[in-house]
Amino acid sequence: MKSRQLMLFNRELSWLEFNQRVLDEALSEDTPLLERVKFLGIAASNLDEFFMVRVGGLEMLAASGSRRADPSGLTPARQLEVIGRRVARMVADQYACHRDLLEPQLVAAGIRRVRRREMAPDQARRAEEFFNAELLPVLSPLAVADPADMPDLPGLRLHVLVRQAGAAGRPERCAVIPVGTAMSRLVRLPCPSGHAYALVEDVIAMFAERLLPGAEIEEAVPFRITRNADIGVREDLGGDFMAEMEHVLDQRKYSDCVRLELRASASRAALKWLTGALRVRERGVYAVPGPVNLAGLSALAALEGYDELRYPEWTPQPSPQIDPRESIFDEIRRRDLVLCHPYESFDPVTRLVEEAARDPEVLAIKQILYRTSVSSPVVAALGEAASRGKYVTAVVELRARFDEARNIEWARELERQGAQVIYGLKGLKTHAKLCIVVRREAGGVVRYLHFGTGNYNERTARLYSDVGYMTCDPDLGADASAFFNSVTGCSEPQPFLKLAAAPLGLKERILELIENETARRRQGRRAAIRIKVNALVHPQVIEALYRASQAGVRVDLNVRGICCLRPGVKGLSENITVVSIVDRFLEHSRIFYFYQGGGERVFISSADLMPRNLDRRVELLVPVDDAACRRRLCRILDGYFRDNVKSRVLAPDGTYRAPGPARRRPYRVQFAMCAEALQAVRTAQAARRSVLQPHLPAEEH
Amino acid sequence: MRKSPASAPESREADAPRAAKRTVGVVELGTTSIRMAVAQVDEKGVVRPLDMLNQAVSLGRDTFTRGGIGAETTEACVKVLRGFARTLREYGVSDPGSVSAVATSAVREAANAYAFLDRISIATGFDVKVLDEAEVNRFTYLAVLPHLRADARMMSGDTLVVEVGGGSTEALLFRDGRVAGAHTYRLGSLRLRQAMEESRLPGRRAMQITRNEIDRAIRHVLDSVPVAGERRPGMLALGGDIRFACLHLAPARAGAERVSLSAAGLSAFADEILGLSVDEVVKRHHVSYPDAETLGPALLVYARLADALKVRRIRVCKATLRDGLVAELVSGGSWTPEFERQVVSSALETGAKYRFDRGHAERVADYARVIFDALEPEHHLGQKHRLILTVAALLHETGEFVSNRSHHKHSQYLILNSDIFGLGSRDLVVTALVARYHRQSPPKPTHELYVSLSRQERVVVAKLAAILRVADALTTRPGGRGGALRVGIAPGEVNLALEDAGDLTLQQHRLRQKGNMFEQVYGMRVGIRGRRGTAHEEQAIDVV
Repeated sequence: MKSRQLMLFNRELSWLEFNQRVLDEALSEDTPLLERVKFLGIAASNLDEFFMVRVGGLEMLAASGSRRADPSGLTPARQLEVIGRRVARMVADQYACHRDLLEPQLVAAGIRRVRRREMAPDQARRAEEFFNAELLPVLSPLAVADPADMPDLPGLRLHVLVRQAGAAGRPERCAVIPVGTAMSRLVRLPCPSGHAYALVEDVIAMFAERLLPGAEIEEAVPFRITRNADIGVREDLGGDFMAEMEHVLDQRKYSDCVRLELRASASRAALKWLTGALRVRERGVYAVPGPVNLAGLSALAALEGYDELRYPEWTPQPSPQIDPRESIFDEIRRRDLVLCHPYESFDPVTRLVEEAARDPEVLAIKQILYRTSVSSPVVAALGEAASRGKYVTAVVELRARFDEARNIEWARELERQGAQVIYGLKGLKTHAKLCIVVRREAGGVVRYLHFGTGNYNERTARLYSDVGYMTCDPDLGADASAFFNSVTGCSEPQPFLKLAAAPLGLKERILELIENETARRRQGRRAAIRIKVNALVHPQVIEALYRASQAGVRVDLNVRGICCLRPGVKGLSENITVVSIVDRFLEHSRIFYFYQGGGERVFISSADLMPRNLDRRVELLVPVDDAACRRRLCRILDGYFRDNVKSRVLAPDGTYRAPGPARRRPYRVQFAMCAEALQAVRTAQAARRSVLQPHLPAEEH
Repeated sequence: MRKSPASAPESREADAPRAAKRTVGVVELGTTSIRMAVAQVDEKGVVRPLDMLNQAVSLGRDTFTRGGIGAETTEACVKVLRGFARTLREYGVSDPGSVSAVATSAVREAANAYAFLDRISIATGFDVKVLDEAEVNRFTYLAVLPHLRADARMMSGDTLVVEVGGGSTEALLFRDGRVAGAHTYRLGSLRLRQAMEESRLPGRRAMQITRNEIDRAIRHVLDSVPVAGERRPGMLALGGDIRFACLHLAPARAGAERVSLSAAGLSAFADEILGLSVDEVVKRHHVSYPDAETLGPALLVYARLADALKVRRIRVCKATLRDGLVAELVSGGSWTPEFERQVVSSALETGAKYRFDRGHAERVADYARVIFDALEPEHHLGQKHRLILTVAALLHETGEFVSNRSHHKHSQYLILNSDIFGLGSRDLVVTALVARYHRQSPPKPTHELYVSLSRQERVVVAKLAAILRVADALTTRPGGRGGALRVGIAPGEVNLALEDAGDLTLQQHRLRQKGNMFEQVYGMRVGIRGRRGTAHEEQAIDVV
């Protein structure tokens, strides 16, 4: 076998390839124009997070002189080198996409950015009015006499550097104008038809002298910095590596500014001043040939009208298995349910909590909330339940990245309403998605459960492709209670009957399931593995899959994002195929299938196959044993491996390619599932119509 | 009535309908952890577990090293129990009769046990009952019985049921499905760990000393278990530590009700665990520190015991003390006829050990029960006292094993120092005194053990001993031969009728000697007559 380093792709480069696939959606002529604008924004926003959570940590490790290689064999310094090259190419592609493809097509569609020199008099007047009314009162320039005195600027916020000529014989003056996040990035301008806009930084530049009177403005340069959030690398490092990182943090010598983006048109003087003031390394400087922060242009995708430039609106369909007139408890008691979002509505999940809140026979509701929306009906229902005297326990993960402040806010509100709120576990992020409703019935206490692969967020449930499983299986109920007791600190972890939980055995369970297939195949029996996840990074899992491939097990992987497994290498992984799907909805579900000698096992999970998920997060692997639900999940998996439109196949060299010339009819899984959901509703309605219930006259006496 | 720990604000429960099934909760304050089981019981008494909770506490460490439970540990227990109380409320368990909380050796042996229990009661509402060793055995029996019945191999021959706890090791010997002995040994995994730590000897040396200590204790176990020749007992192991070993040694059987482990495999695993530091055990096996401390010593005890018993495979079952507590709650605390048979079986084993005249003993016990039942309106005692009388009757002459002189006094201390399954320590004192007073002097203020009893207990002793004296007086022939006894109650007198009695002179004489106490206690004279043939041919032979 080849050395381990050659066997694995570097995770950062693999992530960048994922972002390239997102960018490809923006580049694709098949994607509606405003959706392309949105994808361009998503790719830009993803890259922001990448710099914050990945590059920052690597910069610090490299600065400390660490030469510890990652599983692909690259030292931190070497990783930064290759990342730098790949990102430079990606940024160039992003701006080429914006400048050469999207802007001309937007203009053709009537949506036009107006630069200062292009403004008609009425547009210039509107820009001035906007500046005076909306910007002048709130903008506060910071005069910076010496770059060494540069105040700490917040990351990922737009700023404008203004350089002014010094008065006779005096040095030039510089000031930084922070552009507040409350300000719209796009300033609408009058135009006879269509939509015209200016960028807010251009408007600020036009009238900057009103903010900084007394000297001529030489230059106004929009720029943005990215700070190291040192979250991602730290979460992915383990054991003594963490100690090394702590040491690095203690000895932080460099500014934590890991990226400076500024307009390519900026002067050398401006560039020199900013790099000096922000203490940013040369490799962190990105002079971009267009607007800084392309993600800010995503607002265009939401312009009123222009529906023909978007995907047709999709309304998640009611699950045909669930009769809205019946109690959700009756429905779950009748049969286990698999929900597939956003094709099917998230309403049954919301209903479960809402009905539980009002049902006098419900004793307790227990829920793990990772990310949710500000006005979440689930949170509102939990609050109502607590107010009505139910025992409500919510585990709130405050460390859900970038959602911390939002989570604290509604968690406090829940506490005020009488719920018991547990703020996660020390040292571990609680990522599992679980809701338990304890209900007293004639037959005794029954636990109604919802396990999900996505968050309890009805907004993202319209955008993310996830699956959920609703059941009142007593064994799963016992396991769910035991799991919840351990998460809330009420009990030490107990052995499970059916579930597996990270970090206490989920990885081992997955390895065992893979090894079982391997062992069967070695004995000449049929074996197959199908996995759909968002990321595959864990070296132990990858090595187990390599062993499976070597034994002859057919392994189909659908990995949306990072995949460090190198498929299709003879003698190593020639029986493994990896595909990735990036489409309208963000692929987020995790489904595992094992042939298991014909006794097929299917699981759903909150976990990706990454060290952080399997070793340092609280996650769940849930078996779906109900035959109908299992068949449904298998059908869903089939669709994901059948897609030949949005599917991209990972090659042994780490690149992703469209599938070869299609011999089959085009099949796009997300669209097919939308059609299937619509058809299922129509079929259910037709079935209901086939039962005729006449109004009968009252019986004659 | 005490407020249940799970009592909820009234508004929470007011409108909720009562479920047909009953939900119960049992809590056990053990040596290294506090555990709770919540279960649902249907109308037929079938139990379905709902939830199991376990929190590590260092009760045993406090008691066994410092003699009492420290404030920090007490508050840790309060915190855990408050959480458990909430869980009970979440399941709608609010009836005090549906909750049982018990404590074992760590609390029992703590010098400040009462203060600890008061604090727990005030802070959490849990009214914790401290179990004595016999009660632990009884609950273990209740828990293990369904597992024994499910395995025909364990219902024939000898099976030693063993649970190694932090403070002690409980051993129940079953012979053909009947309890033949119940013993508690001061051989606890936590005590062993502490001895290892205190010895400050290097690992291998400390392990050797521990091994020796275990082997010494095991010799006592072997005294009551025959392992000679072909007759080898089976071994059924209980407890969290051995269940943990099952997860590693038989992972494919995880979750099974009963698992069979190789004794050699267990021994190797025990050595492996003992070869690791406690920190390493925690890190490698994801267990709490208190559990990591006891795991190695406990497994070593099981392994050494298996070796001593010459068993190759150890059966492990999931039964816990909590299962027994649930069974007790389900039955409403009443002693079932089957349980009584087991107690009697254990008493007979004890009697056999002291070479008693079994026939005589059983006949006395039979007569005593007949008189007890007839006098129920007079003594107002219950089933448990009937059983104590039976055991006292069975063992009243065991003292003769020591000496014929004052054998009643020897009987007293032999019973006191016996492990009779099912009888708690207080029950055992009462039993011993009833046996003692079957002859010679009635209770006196100079009898130290007697005066140590509460007034209520003293009355019980007197009532039962008076009956035992009469029953003993009736059984004059060796081997226990004698006819059936009928008891008639008339105002101020009790008339006994013995079938096929023959000459009753001797009985009459003995009743004169022994009947005074009866008259003093019950205020009734005892008369005896013989019966021959049918009831119509009844004729008075003698009257006292």
